[in-house]
Amino acid sequence: MILRRTIIRHGQRIANSPTKSWTRSLATEVDIDTLPSSTDSIAASLENSLRETKSLESEVEKETVQYVPHIDNRSHAAQNLLEDGTAERYSHHRFNQARTKSLGTSIDPNHYQPHKLLTYPPYPSDITLELLLASQAHLGHKTSHWNPMNSRYIFGIRQGIHIISLEQTAAHLRRACRVVSGVAERGGLILFVGTRAGQDRCVVKAAQMAGGCHLFERWTPGSITNGHQILGQCRTKVVDELDREIQGFDEELRERQVLKPDLVVCLNPMENWVMLHECGLNTIPTIGVIDTNANPTWVTYPIPANDDSLRCVQVIAGVLGRAGQEGQARRKEMAKIGVITYTPDTLRTDLSVSTQGARTGGSAEDIKGSDSGGGHT
Amino acid sequence: MRGSQNRSFTSTNSSRAIAAPPIDLTQDPPSNPQNARVIPASPSYFTGRPDSTDNYLDLLALLRRYQTLPTVAPAQAPRVAWRTVTQYRLLVGEPVRASKYHKVIEVLQRLNRIHPAVMPSPLKQAMEIYKRDIDPYAVSKRPNIIDADGRAYGVGRRKSSSAKVYLVQGEGEVLVNGKSINNAFGRIHDRESALWALKATGRMDKYNVWALVSGGGSTGQAEAITLGAAKALMVFEPALKPALRRGQFSSEFQSQ
Repeated sequence: MILRRTIIRHGQRIANSPTKSWTRSLATEVDIDTLPSSTDSIAASLENSLRETKSLESEVEKETVQYVPHIDNRSHAAQNLLEDGTAERYSHHRFNQARTKSLGTSIDPNHYQPHKLLTYPPYPSDITLELLLASQAHLGHKTSHWNPMNSRYIFGIRQGIHIISLEQTAAHLRRACRVVSGVAERGGLILFVGTRAGQDRCVVKAAQMAGGCHLFERWTPGSITNGHQILGQCRTKVVDELDREIQGFDEELRERQVLKPDLVVCLNPMENWVMLHECGLNTIPTIGVIDTNANPTWVTYPIPANDDSLRCVQVIAGVLGRAGQEGQARRKEMAKIGVITYTPDTLRTDLSVSTQGARTGGSAEDIKGSDSGGGHT
Repeated sequence: MRGSQNRSFTSTNSSRAIAAPPIDLTQDPPSNPQNARVIPASPSYFTGRPDSTDNYLDLLALLRRYQTLPTVAPAQAPRVAWRTVTQYRLLVGEPVRASKYHKVIEVLQRLNRIHPAVMPSPLKQAMEIYKRDIDPYAVSKRPNIIDADGRAYGVGRRKSSSAKVYLVQGEGEVLVNGKSINNAFGRIHDRESALWALKATGRMDKYNVWALVSGGGSTGQAEAITLGAAKALMVFEPALKPALRRGQFSSEFQSQ
């Protein structure tokens, strides 16, 4: 391909024009005057072109002013595009699609659609052996690649690979869901990590549902053990029991220690040993998808499943995200009735004066606490 | 009856509304700072680059949302000057990797190809942040002129050598890095290559050459001077272009 490109680029030139003499490229001491005719041909062509430019016609043309209309690329092209009828055609297309969508065969609406795992993930109550089997969660690695610590999770061998027991998978996954929802209920920070290609969307969605954080690119070593250096510039905020931001803590937050997660969910522990080790050093519990070749002692709550199947990983991430969502909902319900499920952070800045002055008119407390009557709390 | 039309028989004080406004029970109680907790401002906190990561995720979400809209060919899409990596780093204040930012540019170029007639306005607003504050259609080449000292300047590059060549009207003296051409190039081939532009057009005795060249080896440096001198000669005599093209001074003189 390189040769073809070179020939295309230079072929025309090589074919049409005279080449420099091969003797010149070999000789180090060559008499300049006896050089072959390449210089002469160039000089000759130069004379020709000069002669042409001095001809009468060229003189005449030079005198007359030639007006070339200036084409404004921007408006010219843009106007053509706006008037080519695409908007009308597209609206017709949308209309026809809406009209004909319901025609044709009625397929079962619950059939597998890959995007549904990301947009509408399954709930912990949807964990069934059928779902896990369909998501290829039972497929382990070649028997020679196993980690014998996983023998308790293996159902058997088929076609040279270990088959993970889906009952074990379901049980461990349900336990992990309880852990995630419990941590979320108690206002804990959950970090979802999935650094393989294609795991970014499910990790982001799970973090969004559980009110936690996501990480889908390489874990920077030292983010927990050397957090001040690596995460020191990342902003934090102060929120109350209903997740509303409280202003006025900017200075204190800048001096405050960097945050650490309270629970880490790792979808590919084989590639994230450093992160799991840091979590272990800082007593941060971890949940991980453990394949037959992985070490189950790297994580606190292993989920024996196939970490190489994107569908399986998306099911697990989706289910854990939903569990976190349920935990968050329970926490907010309790906060509404005044039960605080977490230990509040001790903050130095005293905002008690400003909150008393910030009462909005018309609230129940306003009437209760007013001194315009004999009412007292 | 005499008097104003709006006369009423009650006093103005008693017609004024005095009842308190109705209770708003839908409003949440005010924030209690004793229940405060510190959480990350962004879900991308543990990436170390939260703002740029969030920006990229927002762009991907926009792409997913609008990916079925009709597109135009890249040549027909409006010309846009996107921010450079350095400018984007200044904007977000994070050490963004150049390879990551190129991915952002790829997504932006795909979004820019959406047909202008159906381009949604929230998308247009989202893309504005990534555009440079210049007119991409107003590119103009810097004119290469003879300066006040009568010098023309040309740059040539060949094989990791680069040469800056100044040409003035003169007698035919040549200095390369302050040395005469015989001292600069031991090989006659290289000396000829360096001054090929002047030799081919018969102007060896008409111009003085001052060349500053660095990098590479002798052949690369000589060929770099070739191109630089040819460009500088073009400034003095633009009519020599066809002849120089026939002299095969690389692809610079091949096009148009």
